[in-house]
Amino acid sequence: MEVVDHETPSLENGKTDKEVEENANVLQFMDSMDAYLTLIHSLSSTLRRGWLELASARHSMGASRVNTVLLDHTSHPAATSLLVTQDEGKVDSGKPHFTLCKWASSSNENSLLGEKQSSQDKLHPQLRHRGSTELYEEKTSSENKASREVDDPVQKERSKSLSMFGTLVSPKLRAAQLSFEAALETLVEIANMRSEMVCTFDQVNMKLAGRKDEK
Amino acid sequence: MYGFEAMTFNIHGGYLEAIVRGHRAGLLTAADYNNLCQCETLDDIKMHLSATEYGPYLQNEPSPLHTTTIVEKCTLKLVDEYKHMLCQATEPLSTFLEYITYGHMIDNVVLIVTGTLHERDVQELLEKCHPLGMFDSIATLAVAQNMRELYRLVLVDTPLAPYFSECITSEDLDDMNIEIMRNTLYKAYLEDFYKFCQKLGGATAEIMSDLLAFEADRRAVNITINSIGTELTRDDRRKLYSNFGLLYPYGHEELAVCEDIDQVRAVMEKYPPYQSIFSKLSYGESQMLDKAFYEEEVKRLCLAFEQQFHYGVFFAYMRLREQEIRNLMWISECVAQNQKSRVHDSVVFIF
Repeated sequence: MEVVDHETPSLENGKTDKEVEENANVLQFMDSMDAYLTLIHSLSSTLRRGWLELASARHSMGASRVNTVLLDHTSHPAATSLLVTQDEGKVDSGKPHFTLCKWASSSNENSLLGEKQSSQDKLHPQLRHRGSTELYEEKTSSENKASREVDDPVQKERSKSLSMFGTLVSPKLRAAQLSFEAALETLVEIANMRSEMVCTFDQVNMKLAGRKDEK
Repeated sequence: MYGFEAMTFNIHGGYLEAIVRGHRAGLLTAADYNNLCQCETLDDIKMHLSATEYGPYLQNEPSPLHTTTIVEKCTLKLVDEYKHMLCQATEPLSTFLEYITYGHMIDNVVLIVTGTLHERDVQELLEKCHPLGMFDSIATLAVAQNMRELYRLVLVDTPLAPYFSECITSEDLDDMNIEIMRNTLYKAYLEDFYKFCQKLGGATAEIMSDLLAFEADRRAVNITINSIGTELTRDDRRKLYSNFGLLYPYGHEELAVCEDIDQVRAVMEKYPPYQSIFSKLSYGESQMLDKAFYEEEVKRLCLAFEQQFHYGVFFAYMRLREQEIRNLMWISECVAQNQKSRVHDSVVFIF
């Protein structure tokens, strides 16, 4: 008859549960570090691409159109914001979590829609100024509705942020914008990955410290 | 054959034509570009340029160099040569030379107005203006709130005044209005320059008509591509195209309704001179379109030097120098960003 001892920890391949848990923590730490380094490398290549595309846009549009003096110094709402929260899984962990809120909140969107309406109102008076008859205006407005492709609010936001360089910008400048947008997303992923890496490193350290105390 | 220009041109224009042909000989060659493309740092570029006509302009610049410094100093050389030619020129060559700079004047006006709209310091904006486009009252542009004031306070006394008739409104200046103003001004300028060259007649009219028509067509294509996906309506887009050129008027009608790059290609491929340009591009691609247009422009500009006794050589020289400065800018950026593998993406060899 076998006697099962419930007091001694169970063994798996010669390792205790504690050791298995420690190994899992170490593996998690190594995985997060690997992911962190991969993201760093990805960020570097994305930024390199973005800077070259910006130089290409400057070459295409001219130095007077792509210039630091055109950056907007008026106060305006941020198109993108960063939300920092505590990790929901563990109350005591204190691990921050970063979330990128891209391209205007809903409140900004409403005000921006209002701005768009007023800018369109400004545009139409110019058309009326240049046009001659009401019939022409009606025909023009129906043709204009058919031609407008800017339905996507994200695309509108992108165009708005590029408008400091002019409304008709080269596709190269738009490509540069997308690259820097991707870089921003990668930066937030890096921040989250670093947060996780630091957290798992602390866990590994705690386990090691606990083992030393036991000895 | 044209009029008897060979008999009379050299009386007033012979010296300056000789000068500009001498300047042309100083343009960088393919061997110069190959050396520059192999540079590791901007100081290497400065060292290679010291052996060219740019040497005196760069020699006193301290390290570390910046790409904008190289471009500024090279531009200064062009400005000096232009001013020398302008002060030696008599009518109608002096007016012709002034016409060449009106495009830069328009760019400077838009830069100042846009920068002011973005609450930038006027002094900062003036430093970034192109020197060929400067005029006395340019700083006063910063006080204008709308186009009517812009015209009344500043531009009425400048050569750009006649181009403002289609732009003047009391609407406040904003990004869309400024863009439309820029392109409307440039359209009016090109048409005026074209008419002036036609009035000059002879070889000048023929050569400049070809060059300006190409410029108008290229502008039409760029406006079309850049306005895809924006709020610019088809009618407004059509109004920005110049009223001359190979694409006028039927090509413009088709370009006005294009919604993507492939539709633009389909329109342009109906015109044999542009078929060769678009045949270099793959479908859906527009990245290399600029280089293809620049290459075609350089070819036409170089051909202008094959004939004598016309003013087109002055226009061609200025444009070739600007292309050279663009090449140097691109090479400098690729070297500075350690992206030498991409240097041949945008360099256009002149010789």
